[in-house]
Amino acid sequence: MFIYTREAHPGENVPCHDSFERKLTCAKLLREEAGIGRDILVDDLDGTVHRAYGLMPNMTWVIGRGGRVAYKADWTSAANVEAFLERFLAARAEHPSRATPVMYETQQAEFRYPDRKRFAEHLLRNGPRAAAEFERAQQLWARRPTP
Amino acid sequence: MGEADDGNGAAAYNYAHFDVYVAAGGDVADEAAFWASPRAGQRAPDFTLPRLGDGADVTLSDLWRSKPLVMEFGSFT
Repeated sequence: MFIYTREAHPGENVPCHDSFERKLTCAKLLREEAGIGRDILVDDLDGTVHRAYGLMPNMTWVIGRGGRVAYKADWTSAANVEAFLERFLAARAEHPSRATPVMYETQQAEFRYPDRKRFAEHLLRNGPRAAAEFERAQQLWARRPTP
Repeated sequence: MGEADDGNGAAAYNYAHFDVYVAAGGDVADEAAFWASPRAGQRAPDFTLPRLGDGADVTLSDLWRSKPLVMEFGSFT
């Protein structure tokens, strides 16, 4: 399931949302252009659901049966989600020892290799302004002190 | 919401300029919000949202009642 949020990089062609109707129009366009076959739920104009789950632009959560958080990642990696689901479902199956599983929590650094060319094309799809603003944001990030 | 937005409303959330959002530290604040959001093992926030296409109301807890739910958040970029 996919939840459509605000536009992370608004531009001339895909602007920021100033009404729920505009948000719906953008969501429909995204479904057509990205070919998303899953159900798409559209968050409200205030981003109520996005705020509750932490405001990252491309994140994935897995919620276990019954409603407890099983996985949260501040970037979506399909391979990572699939690997997690496999482990998660295996842990829920009956263990040969019949022992009851005990949850523990991890936080791991993961790495991705951005496809700069594809991302630049997406920015331009949103509008030349989106590309120019990302360029300026990169300059701002370069000047930020390292934590 | 419009010019009189209090900084936390729809206009601030739906920022118009990514560089202005970054200059104001919006990305840093949002990353902090992610880590302040529910952790593994905690109850996931439940909401009802319209489904694109037929507009039907979908309640998240109905989707995770009988099997795990994968929720991907995103936009054009």
